[in-house]
Amino acid sequence: MSALLKLTDVHSFYGKIEALKGISLEVRQGEIVALLGSNGAGKSTTLKTISGLVRPGSGDIQLEGKSLVGWSPHRIVEEGIVHVPEGRRIFAGLTVHENLELGGFTQRKEKAVIAEGIELAYALFPRLKERSRQLGGTLSGGEQQMLAICRGLMARPKLLMLDEPSMGLAPIIVQEIMEIIRKINGQGTTILLIEQNAKAALRLAHRGYVLETGQIVMENTAEVLRGDESIVKAYLGA
Amino acid sequence: MDILVQTLADGLVIGAFYSLIALGYTMVFGIIKLLNFAHGDLYMLGAFVGYTLLSLLSGSGTGAGLMGIVVVLLLTMVIVGLIGMGIERVAYRPLLLAPRLSILITALGVSLFLENGSMIAWGAQYQVYPLQLSHDGWNVLGAQITYTQMGLVLISALLMLGLHQFISRTLYGKAMRAIAHDQTACHLMGIDVHKVIGLTFFIGASLAAGAGTMAGAYYGTVNFMMGFIIGLKAFTAAVLGGIGSIPGAMLGGLLLGMMETAGTFVFGGSWKDVVAFSLLILILVLRPTGIMGEKVTERM
Ligand SMILES: Nc1ncnc2c1ncn2[C@@H]1O[C@H](COP(=O)(O)OP(=O)(O)O)[C@@H](O)[C@H]1O
Ligand SMILES: [Mg+2]
Repeated sequence: MSALLKLTDVHSFYGKIEALKGISLEVRQGEIVALLGSNGAGKSTTLKTISGLVRPGSGDIQLEGKSLVGWSPHRIVEEGIVHVPEGRRIFAGLTVHENLELGGFTQRKEKAVIAEGIELAYALFPRLKERSRQLGGTLSGGEQQMLAICRGLMARPKLLMLDEPSMGLAPIIVQEIMEIIRKINGQGTTILLIEQNAKAALRLAHRGYVLETGQIVMENTAEVLRGDESIVKAYLGA
Repeated sequence: MDILVQTLADGLVIGAFYSLIALGYTMVFGIIKLLNFAHGDLYMLGAFVGYTLLSLLSGSGTGAGLMGIVVVLLLTMVIVGLIGMGIERVAYRPLLLAPRLSILITALGVSLFLENGSMIAWGAQYQVYPLQLSHDGWNVLGAQITYTQMGLVLISALLMLGLHQFISRTLYGKAMRAIAHDQTACHLMGIDVHKVIGLTFFIGASLAAGAGTMAGAYYGTVNFMMGFIIGLKAFTAAVLGGIGSIPGAMLGGLLLGMMETAGTFVFGGSWKDVVAFSLLILILVLRPTGIMGEKVTERM
């Protein structure tokens, strides 16, 4: 399997604070890769650096062999990487339908593609269809997360990056979201997943990386990570 | 009765101008949280660009027919719209991440630049608009409403309707509203945020310029300082409607125009500005969110 996304020795900073201290990782075509680690380890920063919200101080980020360093975020979306951020960031004052349309902004030249994407989203989550004329802010947390994922899919990404999609949701909703992620992956979208809930993430993922204070301290198949005592202690107990 | 109708009609014309200018104020505030104090000067620039284009047109001997006037109006809106975009690009964009005060001070600087630049270009005296609008009209319930007034209100209404359609129907219009909510999320949708901000300045400037050309024709004279007071009035209208709200700006402008005209009738013409700015202070004290405004939520 070839690498879809490849990070090589990436360093990222917030002012003088070095949040990423040389991250190297790769995500292969068709995989679900989990990015684990405790609070403040640098997981979100890794995604922000890939999606161009944070510019790396040094290191390389390649999608299918093409370097994306220094690109503005909208160009990176056009290239096929979509980042569904922490906290979902639904447009509260826009309708569910409008939120989805904006997710398809990069497809704006082809109205049919946007319409088709919205139909797919409604098929995936019929509850969104019922609420299509409601304002995004009126949805429950679970519904907002579903909307955020669907909005991300509207751009037809090669790589979908999800930052803690289960945050703050009831266990039953978490399970539903995890199933959907599996389904999306089954339909051919590669996924990079951040989760606090490492147990749930490793049930889903093919491989995983463990981050600690801006460095990768472990990488392996999900199976091995699930069996690793120290990981279970540090991250699976939660 | 006739006085009431006359007040309403006169107030509606002035109010329509206020609305058109307030829209740009409110849209720019909505999208980058900047009170663009140079915005009134784009109205002045619109009046002068229209003045020059009309002079060229009548100078060429063809005279300004109805078609000519419409073409001049549209051309003025495009030219000043591009100037508005240029101002954003050169003066404001480099400061988007700087403390709010720097960009506010820059806006005042841009305002001074536009006023003094226009004084150099067109002179300090009042210039007479090269266009005579008809004073004929209808007698409605004893009040005289001119065709000109009706035409100006109609054009303003069409412009606002067009804006409303753009904002609510098109993807770029929706992106504008989305950026007002959450700029980072817009980046992640693949939206070129700077392009949309530029477009917002274009639209705001061209609406103000449209009002400027119409006001020049309506009042008959133009001057390089004409945007100063009316900019503050439009700001009042935007606050009255609820700053950041597009329907609020339309409503706020019309209401302000009518209250001001009514106030002029009651207290006399010299009290016109007092009425408007007392209103501003009252709103700020009693209901800072305006009629249609929501509580401003700080985005991260
Ligand atoms: N906007 C920011 N400004 C300054 N420091 C930040 C910012 N965002 C995150 N950090 C710091 O960077 C480090 C990594 O944060 P983050 O990537 O959000 O971690 P995680 O997602 O793993 O919880 C933390 O020490 C955090 O305090
Ligand atoms: Mg995080």
